[in-house]
Amino acid sequence: MTDRPSPTAVLHEGPRALSDAQVREIEESNLADVLKVDIDDVIEYVHKDLKALPDFTTLYRKYLKQRWDVYDLDFSQDVIDWQEKMTEDERQSFMAIASGFHHGERQVEIELPVFMIGASEEEKLHIAAQIEDEARHTVFFDRFYREVVGLKGDDIMDILDASFPWVSETFVGPFGLLAYQADELRRHPYDERARVRYGTTYFLWIEGVLALSVMKVTLSYARWRGFLPAYYTGFTATCRDESRHVQGGMKYLQDAVRKDPSMINEIHDTLRTILYTSGVNSRQIYYEPLGWTQDEVRILFFQQLRRKLNDVGISLSPDLEELLTKVQPVLAGG
Amino acid sequence: MTETNFFSSGWAAVVRDALDAGPSDQVRAGKLQEYWDLFETIKSVYPASWALGCRELPAELGGGPAYLFVQWAGGTVADCRIIGPDEPLAATYVLAMDYADWKALHDGYDAQRTVMYRKILLEEGNLLEFFKTIYFFAECLAVIGAVEARYPALVPA
Ligand SMILES: [Fe+2]
Ligand SMILES: [Fe+2]
Repeated sequence: MTDRPSPTAVLHEGPRALSDAQVREIEESNLADVLKVDIDDVIEYVHKDLKALPDFTTLYRKYLKQRWDVYDLDFSQDVIDWQEKMTEDERQSFMAIASGFHHGERQVEIELPVFMIGASEEEKLHIAAQIEDEARHTVFFDRFYREVVGLKGDDIMDILDASFPWVSETFVGPFGLLAYQADELRRHPYDERARVRYGTTYFLWIEGVLALSVMKVTLSYARWRGFLPAYYTGFTATCRDESRHVQGGMKYLQDAVRKDPSMINEIHDTLRTILYTSGVNSRQIYYEPLGWTQDEVRILFFQQLRRKLNDVGISLSPDLEELLTKVQPVLAGG
Repeated sequence: MTETNFFSSGWAAVVRDALDAGPSDQVRAGKLQEYWDLFETIKSVYPASWALGCRELPAELGGGPAYLFVQWAGGTVADCRIIGPDEPLAATYVLAMDYADWKALHDGYDAQRTVMYRKILLEEGNLLEFFKTIYFFAECLAVIGAVEARYPALVPA
């Protein structure tokens, strides 16, 4: 047995205080040492700078220090854990949760370039770095599904096709919306209102809420059981990358609202559409094999959304508060 | 009996019946009841119309672009017909997709990914309003794609 805390313990803990030494460990660990970092500390770290957001050049410089080589990961112990130690229920539950990420990483990689066209020069550096991060995350899942899960295919799309049967139909809600908003930006790259709507879906909802919640579910399972060390290492490093993406995205939205307070309406309208489509599941997902219940995942969603909105200073309208009470988890991220 | 041509008036009539009937029992069995409850709720009040375009319709089907016009009202399809290139195009949402992607949808390609991979695109209409009912749209798109029809082979470019 393990003496590690249960996967859901942090839900009842409240916000953590990170010491300077912990922050240094998160920021400066090389890939091999990421295995020792606690995922709950990394998720806390995402919020660390939300109240005083770093500028885009600082985020770009962090990227240069933190990028990692996805081909350095060695999945051989993960293969043993997957095949010999995990139960069939655990594998199925894991696939149902991770497959939304496999597809989500690809989607956020290919939808981001159009957002760069209308960005400031400093933000362009950050976005260029983020596109490379998302490409690396796509390769990370491609390697995991190929080498650990054992899906077969000649190229990246073959592996995506093979994992797609595990993706819920409701995935098209946030990710179809992002695809269409990216197309809107392709046609009107300097439309600031369209950019804010796109940013709300991409940075606030998909990265800030969905991704961080779902990362936490599989990573806290892996840490709790002591399984899948290369998955834990690569995906925790991914989470550290996401902290830069969320901070950059929240900076973009915060600046847009400060420049033009009526932009809050674009954020609200976008959240309204997202919450309308987030009140239903198309499949029954069993989280229990990974140590979670559906209600606990919902609580995690709310915590993630509230903290972003509070820290960045975005308030919700009463009808959005009402919609929020009906939200069901979508198992995906980017 | 000769098979109905894709994007013919006969095909539009069959599409209308198929949309009124909704997804097959087999499709319904694969997803949760709460998902279909939402689908039926939206269907019962959906007030909008779609013009679903096919770009580069093969010459033997009349050439393109052409649009399938679908008007919803009171839980049923109130109007369903082909709009030719010379007729006015007025619908709440105008979308369009290449012939090759319509054919792929008919051959079994997933309707959700047809949206997510931007094979079908929104050309006119309010994007955020359209997406509030995206599951309803995606399921209807799958129903339309599944209607039996003759889709001529693609001519290699
Ligand atoms: Fe990201
Ligand atoms: Fe990512």
